[in-house]
Amino acid sequence: MSKETAAVTTAAPLLELRQVVKLFGGVHALEGIDLSVRPAEIVAVVGDNGAGKSTLMKIISGLQPADGGEIRFDGKTVELRRPVDSTALGIETVYQDLALCDNLDTVQNLFLGREETSSLLRGARLRRADMEHRAQETIRRLGAKIPSLRTPVGRLSGGQRQSIAVCRSTLSNPRLVLMDEPTAALGVEQSTGVLDLIRRLRTEHGCAIVLISHALRDVLEVADRIVVLRLGNKVAEFDNSDRTTSSDQLVAAITGISAP
Amino acid sequence: MTTSNQSPAAVAATSSPPPVARVEGRQSRRRQVLDAIAGRYRFVPVVLMLAVIWAFFTAQDSAFMGNRNITNLLVQIVVTATIALGIVFVLLLAEIDLSVAANSGAAAALTAILVVNHSWPAWLGLLAGIAAGAAVGLIQGAVVTQFGVPSFVVTLGAQLMLLGAILVLLPGGTGQVSLFGTGIATLSSTYLPPALGWALTAAGIVAFVLLRLLALGESRRRGIGMSLVREVVAPGILVGAASITAVAVLNSYLGVPLPVVILFALLIVFSYITTQTRFGLHLYAVGANPDAARRAGIPVARAKMIAFSLAGALAALGGILAASRLLGVSASSGTGTVLLESIAAAVIGGTSLFGGRGSVWDALLGALVIGSISNGLDLIGAETVVKYVAEGSILVLAATVDSILTRGSVFARATK
Repeated sequence: MSKETAAVTTAAPLLELRQVVKLFGGVHALEGIDLSVRPAEIVAVVGDNGAGKSTLMKIISGLQPADGGEIRFDGKTVELRRPVDSTALGIETVYQDLALCDNLDTVQNLFLGREETSSLLRGARLRRADMEHRAQETIRRLGAKIPSLRTPVGRLSGGQRQSIAVCRSTLSNPRLVLMDEPTAALGVEQSTGVLDLIRRLRTEHGCAIVLISHALRDVLEVADRIVVLRLGNKVAEFDNSDRTTSSDQLVAAITGISAP
Repeated sequence: MTTSNQSPAAVAATSSPPPVARVEGRQSRRRQVLDAIAGRYRFVPVVLMLAVIWAFFTAQDSAFMGNRNITNLLVQIVVTATIALGIVFVLLLAEIDLSVAANSGAAAALTAILVVNHSWPAWLGLLAGIAAGAAVGLIQGAVVTQFGVPSFVVTLGAQLMLLGAILVLLPGGTGQVSLFGTGIATLSSTYLPPALGWALTAAGIVAFVLLRLLALGESRRRGIGMSLVREVVAPGILVGAASITAVAVLNSYLGVPLPVVILFALLIVFSYITTQTRFGLHLYAVGANPDAARRAGIPVARAKMIAFSLAGALAALGGILAASRLLGVSASSGTGTVLLESIAAAVIGGTSLFGGRGSVWDALLGALVIGSISNGLDLIGAETVVKYVAEGSILVLAATVDSILTRGSVFARATK
């Protein structure tokens, strides 16, 4: 089923999971997963409900530590026990629920938890102007469309809110961005905008992207490589660098029923 | 605060799709008004309500607007506003503190005992009372955050315990402590000399305008267009006119009362903290979406514990100021309408019961509304029952407005 090519295996992997296991009680949510992500590569993880996509995401983002196996980042073995362990390595996560505060505006949401302030002697004030300036730059560079940076984000559309969550992930100049179902809640037009954003994230920031998604059409459009999970196992891996994988192939791998 | 550049897709995504374009326009205009009232202009309906109340009572009795009654009114609301200020902090985090009134009584009793029976200097007794109030708040905050017990239950239980503590603290026979002739009593009987009142007012206005100008300058240097009129001139005139009028009225009687100065000092400090600092921003974030705040690395439990401590400390200060005005502490300290009035003040002032929305100035505005009704009804000799019904119904009205604004505005998503 896999058709690994020479091009994909040359660069040293940025993130590498080896035989990662996750147990919930006696249930194997992940039964020894291998996954490698190279710099500036877009890797999609697909699978049916219960395949282990979310569990895999939580392990990489540090929300739930793995119960076995090895995780290597930049060639070094790492422990991801808490979200800060991942962010310290340069792994940012865009959660499916976006984790935005609707009462705060775009600038406040972008810098949430890492606000810039003046020194205590100068009143410990939020450096609003500096943050707004950087927010403008980030949004312009990624080509996101936000009507006003001073509007509470609760008033913005689903696509705009998704864009803000993606922009937020780039502020720390991450090495890898993990995205959980970025287009699940969006219409066709808004999805296209977010997919553009994902491509720009790679070209502008050079970061690797792990995309966890149900939306096969979106995955086929942006991913360089597609990993298929089924019942906690990796059952297939497609090289999609030439965008030739078909959705029939994917569906067959996801469901385990071979295509006619 | 404009939605004119909002795309049609955005409107469709946030409200039910309207059948025709004209309906969409009307809906977005209605949303625009709701958003403005729910956000930056939340104070407008409150000020209008205050104006109606003042006009009504002035029509009933012209003494209502006299310099003597205004002085009385401001002194009367200081206690409510101080306790309500603490309530604003817990409400911002979508929590509640029902123990503030009892806490205020217990802290006042402690301070009175220390100063009168143990001859502590007044300032030390005051600090001890405030520290005790803060500690009580901190313990409650710890129970709420570490064990996940709903705050209304924790603080309801604490209220009863604190009422018990008041009975234990007060001497057996009389059940009361007189503060007559102590330093605590002089807190309430001190008025600033007119010149000092003016000097503080001028300093306050200048500081306000300078801070606004500083922010404007920083933005413009970064190429961010901000309106001088909207950001500096209009707020400056509003704040300047209101404070100059108030000080002129107070100075024409006895001067600015010290408790009023204390209240405004607190409001200014906490206004700065909530609007200008990282901690303040985090309060709003935690109140709107605790999960998002946690994932952004904000210490959610710590923010809540600080808010409960502040509520406790401010309740204690309010209780001591009340004792200072009443010249003593008794078993009835911190009971009666104190709890309802302080929570009502915060909500009437515009702080949402659903978290993430509000301002420290809501405590002042709401206390003015409640205090004006109470003062006006006393002035025209209305019966207590009228007062209770009026205050109770205005609280329910304010909570209803809050719910409507929360459901109809941008904040609907945050609190569904």
